[in-house]
Amino acid sequence: MTAETVQVVVIGGGATGTGILRDLALRGISAILVEQGDLAHGTSSRFHGLLHSGARYAVKDKEAARECLEENMILRRIAPNCVENIGGLFVQLPEDDPAYAEQWLVACAEAGIKTEEMDLQELRRNTPILNAQVTRAFKVPDCAVDGFRVLWSNVNSARRHGARLLTYHRVIGIRQSNGQVIGVELVNELTGEKKYIACDMIINAAGAWAGEVAALAGLEINVIKDKGTLVAYNHRLTKQIVNRLRPPGDGDIFVPHGTITIFGTTSVTVNDAACTKPGDSEVAELIKTGQDMIPELENYRLIRAFAGVRPLYQEGNSAGGRDVTRNFALLDHQEKDGLQGFISIVGGKFTTFRLMAEKTVDLAAKRLGVTAACRTAEEPLAAPVDPALLERGKRVFGVPGAKKAADRLGDSFAKVVEEAERNPDQRKIFCECEVVSLAEIAHVAQDGDSFTLGDIRRKTRMGMGTCQGTFCSYRTLGALSGYPQFAGNHKDYLTKFLQKRWKGIRPVMWGQQLREAQLSSAIYCSLFGLERMK
Amino acid sequence: MMKKNSEVLVIGAGLSGLMAAAKAVAQGRKVMLVANGMGALGLSSGCIDLWGYQVDQPDKVCTNPLEEIAKLVQRQPSHPYGRLLEILPESLDFFLQLCQQNKIPYVKKESNWQLPTALGTLRPTYLVPESMAVPDLDEIKGILVVGFQALKDFYPEVLITNLQKNAQLAPNCQLSSVLVNLNRQELNANTLAHLLEKPTTIEQVLSQIKPHLTSEMVVLFPPVLGEQRSVDKIFCEQLGCPVFEVTNIPPALPGQRLQRALLKHLKNQGVEVIMGCQVTAAQVADKSCQGVVAEGSGKKLEISAQTIVLATGSFLGGGLVSSMGEIREGIFNLPLYTSSDKWSRRDFLSLAGQPFNEFGVVVNEHLQPLDEQGEIVLENVLITGANLAGCNYPIEKCGNGVALASGYKAGKLAGEV
Repeated sequence: MTAETVQVVVIGGGATGTGILRDLALRGISAILVEQGDLAHGTSSRFHGLLHSGARYAVKDKEAARECLEENMILRRIAPNCVENIGGLFVQLPEDDPAYAEQWLVACAEAGIKTEEMDLQELRRNTPILNAQVTRAFKVPDCAVDGFRVLWSNVNSARRHGARLLTYHRVIGIRQSNGQVIGVELVNELTGEKKYIACDMIINAAGAWAGEVAALAGLEINVIKDKGTLVAYNHRLTKQIVNRLRPPGDGDIFVPHGTITIFGTTSVTVNDAACTKPGDSEVAELIKTGQDMIPELENYRLIRAFAGVRPLYQEGNSAGGRDVTRNFALLDHQEKDGLQGFISIVGGKFTTFRLMAEKTVDLAAKRLGVTAACRTAEEPLAAPVDPALLERGKRVFGVPGAKKAADRLGDSFAKVVEEAERNPDQRKIFCECEVVSLAEIAHVAQDGDSFTLGDIRRKTRMGMGTCQGTFCSYRTLGALSGYPQFAGNHKDYLTKFLQKRWKGIRPVMWGQQLREAQLSSAIYCSLFGLERMK
Repeated sequence: MMKKNSEVLVIGAGLSGLMAAAKAVAQGRKVMLVANGMGALGLSSGCIDLWGYQVDQPDKVCTNPLEEIAKLVQRQPSHPYGRLLEILPESLDFFLQLCQQNKIPYVKKESNWQLPTALGTLRPTYLVPESMAVPDLDEIKGILVVGFQALKDFYPEVLITNLQKNAQLAPNCQLSSVLVNLNRQELNANTLAHLLEKPTTIEQVLSQIKPHLTSEMVVLFPPVLGEQRSVDKIFCEQLGCPVFEVTNIPPALPGQRLQRALLKHLKNQGVEVIMGCQVTAAQVADKSCQGVVAEGSGKKLEISAQTIVLATGSFLGGGLVSSMGEIREGIFNLPLYTSSDKWSRRDFLSLAGQPFNEFGVVVNEHLQPLDEQGEIVLENVLITGANLAGCNYPIEKCGNGVALASGYKAGKLAGEV
């Protein structure tokens, strides 16, 4: 077993964990993040991609609304490549309670959220897809956010300040000595190799898995696992985000996102944090509810369904510290349970991940005797792309391709452009749906954190478009066969990738998507015999 | 509205439609063929798969597909082959003659071929275009796989790596590869195939391959050796060794070449072929269809016929359409067999096959559509190919086999009316 030493081990590669890693690194605290799968394989990529303005929470929880607004503004500033500032709408239907709109307007004003009532004729002109019966509509400063990109930007920023990342490493033990955490035992999920990291502190940011991680230290945290199902349409249904103006419920948010629209969500309590199977009946229910806002919804082409598990912290077990808001809970297990060097951060939402990280690292720094202040709200996540570089990118990848690649790649964009300039062969577009070039795929494949086709998908969006990887997964496999880490078991790479895509296609398999599914089955079974491949 | 009249109307230009038209016209009928798109034939391997694996041991290749199909029909009479068993040999002969006559010769062995794919797997198939007829791999002394730098859909290394795992190769078989550079950034299979018909391009390719050739080698290409015409023979002669195309993802040329050749044959035989035309309505009375309305590119036709052959395919071909919770046959709204409440299985690669592939129309021995009670729905409409229920072609490896035999039988029945 190999061993190394670090001040803090962060457990969980979601928005919160990566935010914490970055915050620690910026304050000069040595840290390593361990994640059981790939970064963002959990809840941080399984949501609607809405960067809340806070309007949705204004009535129920003003403090949460204020936090959202503030964090929304910060993320727009520090991570423009991750945020699409498209604005949001709240629309009221005849069956919605008009009194709620009044209450909501007051609450938004109190939280400082700017709302602007829209002329209904203008609304119908701009967004004809919406139900013509809409009675009132308001503009709010909502944005769309790319979870994958935020997480990798966090990690890349943290790495520039010395932090490290271990994906596919699951925590199997937490060592303690005299009431103090001393290290973490890990197993490499890909190789089975075991590893030990000695540390002074552990931060449990495992999200839906936080209870399981705490249990390894003999502690109890009650996390409710709340599954939400979402569906993705193959184009942008609306220009802006559309929320329904009523108390938050199922099926009331549409978020246009890159080339698609994500619509959600539902709420079902589950036992297993890994339960991300979108339910057929949930999908049917979602679409039925969504038709209130978009009557023709059933006729638009769906790409897939997916589900994420929201980790909701159950109040009552809370330490109830003053820093803790009602939306996330920072658990100081030294005070709570007498275990030194163990902190858990649970609950919360994607929009406020940075704030959660700040509060968590404030506590960690205090315990470690570090006085450096938080800088995550000021330091940009990635340097802005140089316009001259973008022009060079357009010459090799085309206009839309270059813009997308620049946003996805952040600081690595320069390297990828240089490679494509040097080698015209690398300019081939492998994923036509998301405009991903061979150069980008090759770069990501060699970054040290890519072990499966799925890892490459999450970083590049390869395979996330209409064909759901039918063509580009085979191409990617071919292009990667030259690299030692991908040269091995092609059957395994392809089968696992296609199976994961299948899981999301099945619940929405009708219309054009059933046709696509038949093509995929014809290609991989009829033409390639993948089902009997050795 | 323009009116047309025909003895036999075939709807669909995939393999079953082409076969039906070819057989009906061979019997002296007046035949018309309308099709909306190019169908699934151009997406297929271009080979005629009859039956791939043993009925009792679905992981073992069957050597004699005809015997295996006889076994299948006993076990599972509802399979489309249950209506086609007797006609199978003559339909295969007819097809072979047709291809010979139209200069795209297909070859057969007594047993299944086991042909390499671009993924490096072997696929069992029965009738193959000459350009794909790779001899038994265990007798080959060396294989050179040729790829093209600009073609993103073919990777020699993938083929070689997996062929070593999936095939019985001769003990000292040398496997090597070459990536031809045509100074192009990106080419799709069709553009490349078109280029490869030009002598200058052929010269360019030959000069890059030759240094890698040793004696007694077999050369494998992606399926791009010629768009309009097959150029594999030219490569064979110039290189002095056998040259073959392997199966790959679409677009693939062998299927397109077959389709083009058969369409040309039909036109030569006086069949009126109307492409880009969708049948939008059918006039039905007394269990019979008097005619259909077809629309496309601004035209509207009313076509009456004595016999109508439905060869519109499954979902991929466009013959079956689905919406949330509902599946329909698009022209006659025929009763459909849907084998299961679930349209798909949890495992993408399940050996049991995906249920949606089996959805289709149940027919009697005359290929007439039946309802749930077994009553004939339309007397003069014959159902073929992927419109037929009960066949899981991606797993069974029988898509083009069922299409060929059912198309032939429909053409024959229509010709006899």
